This record gives sequence, structure tokens and C-alpha cells, in this order.
Amino acid sequence: MKILSIFLFIVSAGAYAHPVIYQGGWALSSSNMPDYSNNYLMYSPSNRYSVGIDHWRFSQEAANTEAALLKINHLLWRDNGENHQANIYLHGGGGVVDQEWGSPGTHGMYMLGLEADWETRRLYTAIKHYEFHAPGKLDMFTTQARVGFSPYEADFKSLQTWFMLQGMIIDEVQEKVMITPMVRFFYNNVLWEMGSSTRGDWMLNLMVHL
Amino acid sequence: MKKMMALTLMLFSFTSFAKEINVKVSGMVCSMCAQGIQKKFSAISEVKSLDVNLDKKIVNIFTHDDKDLEDATITKLITEAGYNVASIERK
Ligand SMILES: [Cu+2]
Repeated sequence: MKILSIFLFIVSAGAYAHPVIYQGGWALSSSNMPDYSNNYLMYSPSNRYSVGIDHWRFSQEAANTEAALLKINHLLWRDNGENHQANIYLHGGGGVVDQEWGSPGTHGMYMLGLEADWETRRLYTAIKHYEFHAPGKLDMFTTQARVGFSPYEADFKSLQTWFMLQGMIIDEVQEKVMITPMVRFFYNNVLWEMGSSTRGDWMLNLMVHL
Repeated sequence: MKKMMALTLMLFSFTSFAKEINVKVSGMVCSMCAQGIQKKFSAISEVKSLDVNLDKKIVNIFTHDDKDLEDATITKLITEAGYNVASIERK
């Protein structure tokens, strides 16, 4: 909890592939590491909301805890500057969790989240915090913070490359903050990321806006 | 006769040809922003083609012959995409 506060203090907030996108748009995202994965499909009926399905897997050695949720994301605040963009998002969802540790079994659960980001064409910072609760059975959270830079400004329809550093905590799964340097490639509506954590865990993420 | 010619000329000047509209957009920082804006404008029948310049943060809209896009429509589409209009210029 202390580490979390420090993280929140150091970096302010989010994700370049945003959970709420243009009206009528779909966002598909898949984030994968050995200890966790998150996949979602969201539809934005307005530029302020998106709804969709969300799946999480957390792994502790051979045991998995998996959550499947119906989710709503709200763009609470956006600042469109001349050279930057900043966002704050709220997340909420309900569904089921299949737990293989703690209180094993399938339980009803809900999740809450807060996400914020600030970015220009060359700099990127983001923080996300999600909490998962199945009353009396499960209480866990994950927090991610990112900073990144792009060595050049790519125009629309050309490839943009980013170097990023992600710090991530998954409560109950890891004891330390997992630090993952990564490269992000960005082409039109497709974004993919590859990285390897300082302890050697691979990371592979893919996001598409349709 | 002179009157007729003047009238014809006037009529001609009112006939609109394809238009180029330059929209300065704030908050547009990456190709995903650009792509969202492109998607919104491509769905509009008046729009022939679109150029997004991320450097200058300008969206160039080219309309079909005899078609125009009102400022209000442009502002609505940019807003729905999630961004703000800083200025609209017509050529
Ligand atoms: Cu963007």
C-alpha cells in the first residue's frame, strides 16, 4: 500500500490505447505476461463512455485466478491542449471470479478502477489502478505506472516507436514491483508492445481501434 | 445583355465547387487520434477525402463538387471523436 502511494505520487496516470474512444468505435486489447493477462473488447456509444467485456487472469505459480466481467468505462475528464492530451477515466464492472487460491471456487465479484494519462507526441505518462472484490472471498488490486518517450515524431500513416518503462504491482501475486522496459510500435490504429521484465518475464501486448 | 452577363457571372460565383477546409484540432497527439477523426469524416457523404497532419495538428477536408460542410457539422464530428476545434479555415 505504501509502494502504491509512492507510485501514485511519482507518476500521474493511463494508456495511449484509451478505454473510451471516438463515438461508434471499438477498442480491442490484449495484455500478456506470465503472471497476468487482460483482454477486453469495448464499444464507445459516445466519446465519454464505453461498455464491453473484460477478462483477467492472475497466476501464482500453478494456480490461476480468473475474472470475467461486464464493464463500463467513463472518461471523467479530458484536456485537449495544443500539444498534449490528458485524461482521467473511471472503471466499473461486475461479473464472476474463479479463484484457485484464498477462497477457492466461483464467486460473484465487482471491480473498480481509476486511470489517468498525459501525453504529447514524444512523451507519455500513465497510471492505472484496479481493484477486484468478491465480498468475504477476494480483495486484490493491481497498479501499473508507465513513462515513455518517442525518439522521433511520426506522422499519420507511418510507424512510431516508443521506449517505455512499466512498473507494475499485482497484490497477492508479486512481492515486489515488477519493472518492465518495453518497446511500443504504433501504426495507424494498431499498437503492439514487447518487453521483458528485469527478472526475465516476457510481455506482449496488442491493441486495435476499429 | 450586360445585365444578363452580370447575372450569369453572379450565378456562377454562387455555384460551389469542391472545397478545401482546414481544421486546426487540439488534443490530437497520435495516429490513433488521427484515425478516429478520419473514421468520423469518412462516414459523411459530402467528404471526398481527408488529410491529417499530426505535425501541424491540422485536418484537411476536401468535399465533393457542389458540397460543403457547415462549421457546426465539423465541430460536432471532431467533438464526437473526442477532440476540440481550435479554428476552421476555408479555401
Ligand atoms: Cu491519440
